[in-house]
Amino acid sequence: MKRIGQIFLWVSLALAALWVIPSVVNLITLKGYSTPFTLYSCTVHDFTSLDRGEGSDFRFIDTKGNVYGDEAQPMFYASLLASKGALPDSIEGRKISLEEIERNKVIISTRPKDINKTSAPVYLLMESVPERLELQDPEDALISRKDGIYVYNMDENALLEGKTAQLRGALDSLGFAYPAKLFAGKPSHHKAYDEGYLVTDARDRVFQLKQVNGIIQVRAFPQADNLGVKYLNITEFENHATLGILVDADNKLYMLTPDGRVLPTGVTYIPEKEDFLVVGDLFYYTVKTSDNEGEHFWALRSSDFSPVATYDRAYPSDWSLPGIRFTSSLDNWVKLRF
Amino acid sequence: MNKMILYKEWLKTRWVLLGIVLVFAAVTFYCFLNLTKVVEIRGGGLLWEAMVEKDALLVDIFRYLPAVAGAFLALAQFVPEVQHKRLKLTLHLPYPQKRMLLVMVAIGLLILTVLYALQAGVSAFLLAQWVPVELVSRVFRTTLVWYLAGWAAYLFTSALCLEPTWKTRVLVLMVASAFLYLLFLSGVPEAYNGFLPWLVAYTLLSGVLLFHGVARFKEGAQD
Repeated sequence: MKRIGQIFLWVSLALAALWVIPSVVNLITLKGYSTPFTLYSCTVHDFTSLDRGEGSDFRFIDTKGNVYGDEAQPMFYASLLASKGALPDSIEGRKISLEEIERNKVIISTRPKDINKTSAPVYLLMESVPERLELQDPEDALISRKDGIYVYNMDENALLEGKTAQLRGALDSLGFAYPAKLFAGKPSHHKAYDEGYLVTDARDRVFQLKQVNGIIQVRAFPQADNLGVKYLNITEFENHATLGILVDADNKLYMLTPDGRVLPTGVTYIPEKEDFLVVGDLFYYTVKTSDNEGEHFWALRSSDFSPVATYDRAYPSDWSLPGIRFTSSLDNWVKLRF
Repeated sequence: MNKMILYKEWLKTRWVLLGIVLVFAAVTFYCFLNLTKVVEIRGGGLLWEAMVEKDALLVDIFRYLPAVAGAFLALAQFVPEVQHKRLKLTLHLPYPQKRMLLVMVAIGLLILTVLYALQAGVSAFLLAQWVPVELVSRVFRTTLVWYLAGWAAYLFTSALCLEPTWKTRVLVLMVASAFLYLLFLSGVPEAYNGFLPWLVAYTLLSGVLLFHGVARFKEGAQD
């Protein structure tokens, strides 16, 4: 027993050293690195990166090294340009107004940590058509179980049998296969409107669940049936241009429109490994995915989400002392990693 | 003989045990009194929202309690044994030495397990009044690592007490600190789910340090 105790002690000390020493060394040798904010420009028709020039003025530099002022991003700086009277009347032959520009600004951002975690299968359900017009805090919740989706009243912690039966009937009529796999929704009143949840069933088909006047409406999206959707996100942009973002089994990204069309974008996005940022405007959506090796940009036309340009930026190679660690910037789990 | 050992452990630990039970009862009572008031004033929906949207656990106040209880119980059981080298007398009782130590540790672990199970059971019962079983089990699965930290704190503190030399005691302390730090590394609900079986295995294995300390004591190792 003494020998086993000694082996246990020294192996434990070795593991602790392999964990602590590289962590400290890597922390000491860590060097900060940042990349400039980059957007596709509707006037320059190239990706432009924000740069602090000589003095305090910001400027934009395109991928060929040309330098521009705020006019390179009239959508992003619309208010500023309008206050100076420098906002163009039309771009790409289209008349524009400040109100239209503001309404079409969209931004969405996710990180692998948002996805790689163990979540409870409980989803707060909002009323999409509230009596007082403004969205209210949810009163009900959906609970996904192996044999169905159940509706509960949260204050009473009680199953709402009527609503559950109504939902089951609606799901069954569309051939929903239990259990549900993915739920994507934003049950918050800090948004313009509510589209409920995008859900995938056991066969990876996409559905929408949305409470309208107390009735949970279910809608299927047959165009997404054969994609093998492995990730989805609801957008709820103010301009109602999209309903959601879908990623298929091959990491191809699609836009789901409110009328049920599934539009390919040419973007490759690995949700469980990459950061994801979309900044969109009246003319173009700039999509950025990034991992620890670099950034990949796509410019999509806002009208149909077809790709018009791409741009890659590699990060400088990073050195770190190898060791063991238990956490990661990519997920929320504690486990042994080499 | 088992009854005598049990009685000896009772004499050593009764006051500390009483203190631990009172603290557990008080903290659990306070936690649920607080939650009861929240539900009365804001409604039970707030608990659902906090747990689903903000990853709240509602019982965070319990987090370090099992570990502190484990450490205190170990001190109550083993400090009297090592004071004035009374362990010598214990080891000279007409009873197999390894079994003697095993029974002492088993009593300590059993006391802690009963205490933890009571707290977890009461918490689950009370939480189930306000939130569904899915959220109750989420709380339970998250708190398992806290209770495991209680076992680990108990076993490592016992090993520290029984280790006869300061040099090895420092090494054990380093391992104990690293392991307990690991158990509290993340506050994210269910972060330890997949890793928990390995952590349980390591915690139980750390019990060999107690036998290691006693063996060295018998060999006459000292500063």
